[in-house]
Amino acid sequence: MLGFGFATAFSPENLFYCFLGVFLGTFIGVLPGIGSLATISMLLPLTFHVPATTAIIMLAGIYYGASYGGSTASILLNLPGTPSAAVACLDGYPMSQKGRAGVALFITTIASFVGASLGIVILTMFAPKLAEVALLFGPADYFAMMLLGLVAAATLAQGSPAKGIAMVLFGLCLGMVGTDVQTGQQRFTFDIPYLSDGISLVAVAMGIFGVAEVIGSIGRIRSGEVAAQKITMRSMLPNREEWSRSWKPMLRGTGVGSFFGALPGAGGTIASFMSYAVEKRIAKDPSRFGKGAIEGVAAPESANNAAAQTAFIPTLTLGIPGDSVMALMLGALIIQGIQPGPRLMTEYPELFWGLIASFWIGNIMLVILNIPLIGLWVRMLRIPYSILYPAILLFICIGVFTINNSYFDVLVVMAFGVLGYAMTLLKFEAAPLILGFILGPLMEEHLRRAMLLSRGSLDVFINRPISASFLAVTALLLLFAIYVTIRGARKPVPMVVQAATPDR
Amino acid sequence: MQRRDWTDIIGGIALILFGIWFHFHARADYSLGDLRRMGPGFFPAVLGILVAILGALTIIPALFRPGELPVPKIRALVAIIAGGLAFAWAIEPLGLIPATVLLIAIVTQAEPAPPVLRTAILAVSLSAMAVLVFTVGLGIPIPAVRWSTFGWGY
Repeated sequence: MLGFGFATAFSPENLFYCFLGVFLGTFIGVLPGIGSLATISMLLPLTFHVPATTAIIMLAGIYYGASYGGSTASILLNLPGTPSAAVACLDGYPMSQKGRAGVALFITTIASFVGASLGIVILTMFAPKLAEVALLFGPADYFAMMLLGLVAAATLAQGSPAKGIAMVLFGLCLGMVGTDVQTGQQRFTFDIPYLSDGISLVAVAMGIFGVAEVIGSIGRIRSGEVAAQKITMRSMLPNREEWSRSWKPMLRGTGVGSFFGALPGAGGTIASFMSYAVEKRIAKDPSRFGKGAIEGVAAPESANNAAAQTAFIPTLTLGIPGDSVMALMLGALIIQGIQPGPRLMTEYPELFWGLIASFWIGNIMLVILNIPLIGLWVRMLRIPYSILYPAILLFICIGVFTINNSYFDVLVVMAFGVLGYAMTLLKFEAAPLILGFILGPLMEEHLRRAMLLSRGSLDVFINRPISASFLAVTALLLLFAIYVTIRGARKPVPMVVQAATPDR
Repeated sequence: MQRRDWTDIIGGIALILFGIWFHFHARADYSLGDLRRMGPGFFPAVLGILVAILGALTIIPALFRPGELPVPKIRALVAIIAGGLAFAWAIEPLGLIPATVLLIAIVTQAEPAPPVLRTAILAVSLSAMAVLVFTVGLGIPIPAVRWSTFGWGY
């Protein structure tokens, strides 16, 4: 099947879009102040003009490309390019101060490649099996599974669990806007014809992740501050000791990352912090960490790249997005008329296997982009944000306008920009909101179908073993969240995330 | 530092107000149905209550711990939103280039005292790029400049 996938992925068009995706991904990953969420939402309108497989190949390339590039700014500027690269600041920046920036950049690329490759292998092995199991799911099971995904996203994310759940619910509310599928009733549209198809996902994502992020970043991002560090090929090669110190952490990081990536609601940021914690705990001399320990760079980088690949497992087999980027990916599929779920693999094999094959191609492209061409990206870091952000905003405005050639969509983006900025100020996470927004209509539909089938009896959720086990895990997560809240002690990992990524 | 965590108090109040409004709007305007055959109002009505409850849960602990008062960056917020609105207003009647120039001129005000020359260069180069990518490349049905609006009809 993979051979068939390669045949799809090697078509000139798909190769071009795969390259475009990983190139853009590295670019925006390197630059602080614009993330993969904003970029993917900015490019969603462009993907309407290409076939579904090509579109997904490009969007996925942005996602895993960004997780390669994210650590560059962490190492050179002590400013993470992406949230999942925040942990690379802890030891990457000290390495750079010691004059080992080249080695740190080299090791992060190798670690990323190792993590991603093993992640793809795991994805290829487990996804088909999981899809088979998922074919047995009924509406009640789907509802329970989505509930679990949303609760996991809300409680495992950084910050307080109550606020995370509140954001999921708020997202569900926003998802209600539009025409009710079952009765044709217009809900929360206030007689505005544009709203009868619901609020556009692209507009919400661009507002919350694009516009709000720009407002938050202005005046915060120092730029053009890269010291005249010359990164030569020679300075990048690690010595013997550095090699022997890093390969085991890479493998452990991959393990941690693959696990957290496949969990709905966890994702790369949590994976990278967990693997850092693991390395620090098992190290013979933990005091080296934070002072330029190469293990502290290798493990988290392989973890977040492994997670970036295994995150596709629940997305492609169950139709449940693991994080907000995956939610946008699902949104892109739905816009293309493809219903994500366990049947995706059999109904659209060229999409599924073509995408997996493109991961291999994309990751090899990324190694080339990140080792021989690293000088290019280091120079990119000198672009001042004052020049960058007007371009980002222009691209957002034109991009969203072109979806329906309607100025109304631009207004919606700006409204969500204000909302997103308010959320940043009040320390609400945006990721659970997007998950809720995308899953909301699906959840309501499955709930109503389940209730119709069971003639209004709620027992169906407990009598079916699949749904009952999902609900049991959900209950456990909620109990854990209550325990954490009552104890008043915030989880230590998210604290580090907040410290490393001010404002977001 | 404030005596109470105003960040979460304000956030919680906003959630409660939104939840209550959402609940009553759903109940008043859409039919609820029953569990067996849920109407279009059922799911939103439940959601509204849950949002309000979580708003309360956000406020309660915040009353008893110190915190920061959130301070918005008014200048950046106003400049960027105004730039977007100006673009939305200009794009159809005036065309792509005027809309782009307006957007750039306004959003660069997000930072105090932007250099005029830099803004001009940005406006020119981004206009050229926008026309090349979107009007020429992707063929969106918006002209670079809608001359008829300016009185030069053809």
